[in-house]
Amino acid sequence: MPVSEPGYPDALPEQHRLHWYVIERVLGQGGFGITYLARDTNLDQRVAIKEYLPVDVASRRHDAAVGSRTDGSRERYRWGLDRFIKEARMLARFDHPNIVRVLSVFELNNTAYMVMRFEAGENLSQLLETRGTLGEDELLRILLPVLDGLALVHAAGFIHRDIKPDNIHIRADGSPVLLDFGSARTAAGKAHTLTILVAPGYSPFEQYYGSSENQGPWTDIYGLGATCYRAIAGRAPLDAIVRSKGILGTARDAIVPASVVGAGRYSGRLLAAIDHALAFSEKDRPQTIAEWRKELAGEGGTPVAVLRAEARAPGPRTMTAPPVGTSPVGAAAPPDRGPDKRAPIVWSIAGAAGAAVLIGLLLHYSRNADEPPKPPTTPEAEASRALQDKITALEKQVEEQARQRAEEERERREEAERKQREAAEAARARAESARREAEAERARAENAKRDAEERARVAAARRAEEEASRRAEAARLAEAARLAKAAPRSKPEPSPEPREAAKPPPPTAAQVLAQSDEAAARGNFGDAAALLKPLAERSNPAAQFRLSQLFLEGRGVEQDQKEGLRLLEGAATQGHRDARLMLGGMYAAGRGVRQNANVAYIWYGAAACAGSARAQAEQEAIKARLQPAEIQQAEKLIADLCRRG
Amino acid sequence: MSFRALRATYRHATIWVALALAAGCALSPQQKRDAINALNAEFRVEYERALAANGTRVFKTDRKTAVAAAQAAMTRLGMRLDDEVPALGYMSFSAPAPVPLTADEWERVNAADLPKARAVLRPHVGWMADHFRFEPKGLDIVVNVTVTETRGASAVSITMRMREVTPLDLDLPRRDYPPPTGVSMGLDKIWLEFEQALRARQR
Repeated sequence: MPVSEPGYPDALPEQHRLHWYVIERVLGQGGFGITYLARDTNLDQRVAIKEYLPVDVASRRHDAAVGSRTDGSRERYRWGLDRFIKEARMLARFDHPNIVRVLSVFELNNTAYMVMRFEAGENLSQLLETRGTLGEDELLRILLPVLDGLALVHAAGFIHRDIKPDNIHIRADGSPVLLDFGSARTAAGKAHTLTILVAPGYSPFEQYYGSSENQGPWTDIYGLGATCYRAIAGRAPLDAIVRSKGILGTARDAIVPASVVGAGRYSGRLLAAIDHALAFSEKDRPQTIAEWRKELAGEGGTPVAVLRAEARAPGPRTMTAPPVGTSPVGAAAPPDRGPDKRAPIVWSIAGAAGAAVLIGLLLHYSRNADEPPKPPTTPEAEASRALQDKITALEKQVEEQARQRAEEERERREEAERKQREAAEAARARAESARREAEAERARAENAKRDAEERARVAAARRAEEEASRRAEAARLAEAARLAKAAPRSKPEPSPEPREAAKPPPPTAAQVLAQSDEAAARGNFGDAAALLKPLAERSNPAAQFRLSQLFLEGRGVEQDQKEGLRLLEGAATQGHRDARLMLGGMYAAGRGVRQNANVAYIWYGAAACAGSARAQAEQEAIKARLQPAEIQQAEKLIADLCRRG
Repeated sequence: MSFRALRATYRHATIWVALALAAGCALSPQQKRDAINALNAEFRVEYERALAANGTRVFKTDRKTAVAAAQAAMTRLGMRLDDEVPALGYMSFSAPAPVPLTADEWERVNAADLPKARAVLRPHVGWMADHFRFEPKGLDIVVNVTVTETRGASAVSITMRMREVTPLDLDLPRRDYPPPTGVSMGLDKIWLEFEQALRARQR
């Protein structure tokens, strides 16, 4: 297999064919797979192909197939593969200009491939990297079409779960496309089997639970709100885990609301809608895209919703600063919405409750000033402690996952380095093989040149001899004529029989092979075959090998697999390394013969003992397909062949 | 778990009785893998022991005669020549199981090897092991014969494996080894036929 792209050791190499798609390059790699730019050779157009290759459980094998890393991870791999295919089928149902268009999905190499329309342009992340922030009009031009697409997805019962600038592609005409539904799941999916998939800053708190029970359109709305926040603030909002500490009361929620960050630069309506989308608790966010769209358009009820949420908020919230992202949103409510009459009441109740709890706590601590402080025992405090415990456990879980990811990353790096070493080794072996082949070619050319010189020398000698012979004959005849004149009566001596012309020596095998090579190089395969046939009949292995190629390919002779195979076996039996290697490959792949791992192993073994490093590697690869007893049996035949040549 | 899936689990030689279905029992993939691996390991030991004792014999004949005798013997036993590489002295034969054994002989294999097979499976699948049977349907027996010639004699070597005719379940390990008694009986039959065929050619 050719070497994969540098930086993507698991990727398929350029020009690799997947049916009628030809890989051009890697577009990117994520935890679940690799995305390639490829060409559809049937329609002659570019496509993007996503290959399922979850690096934590699977890796590329030398034959391009993907396999699970361990027996234990096989089931997980198959489950993910199944989900990948279902995801592709799900996406293929949507034909919307702002959702990536899936053209096809197919299984190959023990994995699956999702073929998507290739969209030129750049992703929002790159755009924000360059520009820092976006103006309101520009932001809405991107956001609103994405909402259209996402509403369609939600209506079908799916949620994206990974909305962030990286996953919004901006076409050359400025229109957006929502990409990478890699973590999309049905809203009613198997909660216990979901992997926690989070993008720090863009994922709401409920996604850290790893359960789908409390996830829904509001989860994607948080991602959209966070993306908008990034576009107006120039940075992503604080991660939900960090914010959770503020909500608990152990620290202030340090997020600066969009209504503060973007004040004066963006409309209050947009900023309020962003803050509403970023509400910490899922219940406090807009529940549907339609609801949020109304807020963006100035028809929604952000303050009401937020205040209702405040009224529902547990006690600890009132003991600390109001969590940012909830009450500040209310403070930045758009002016076009009428005041909520319940707001002062709610605030009064909340304030009174907070004051009561505070006073209670002060009294409690003043009475027990000399005792070590005990945790408060109010229901609110209990709830706070329980929530704190949950958060601590969650943080530990996240830390553990980070540790595992680092460990997996280290293993992947080592694996990549090993593969690179192997690839370099293979490249060195190939270079060495090419060097040897070139040397052999040079030697053949030199032999041919020597043979040609020898032929020329022999021919010149023959011509000189013939000339000398003619001269001698002429001199003899002249002498005979002179004698006849001098003695007319004497009986002339009979002239001797003319001498037989010296026959040229037959050409050597090397000469014939060189001539046939020359003929083949000129494209005159008929002449090459005619030259090789007599030599092959005399069991010359080089001639048998060359002639076998002509029969197998039908060049200069009628194609004849059987004859080609007979000649190839003849050459291989006599120790022809390339013939053995070729037979190994034919039997391994079932090319022109019935596929047979035993016979492939034997021929590869014989080629290896004739000095082929490649054959040795191929033999090792095929070994796993044989029983130990079959290997022993094959080794006897290999030893027999190695003794013969 | 469906009956078909259970059969696929022991695709070449086993059937789990539908009783398991009735009882609502299901084996996890890991249990199935462990059970197949245990059976493979046990049968492999017996198989290699049988081959070490009776898998290779040397005959005072040239390779050509030995190859011809092997082909005649295997054909007479009902096996088909799939592959032959005369240059190597390699032949591969196959037939639907239980050939080269007869149905009666296969019953004897069951009687001899089933208790051991069930004992191996029991720690992994519990009482379901008692419903395990060797089932030849859907399987081919593949026999490889090689002949090497040294100092006027030919060494004839035999190996035997099972091959599933129905599609493979890639998630489970393959079971390659026939029941040990089946291997011994098969080898005896092949050698008997081979010697007769060789004698006929040497006469």
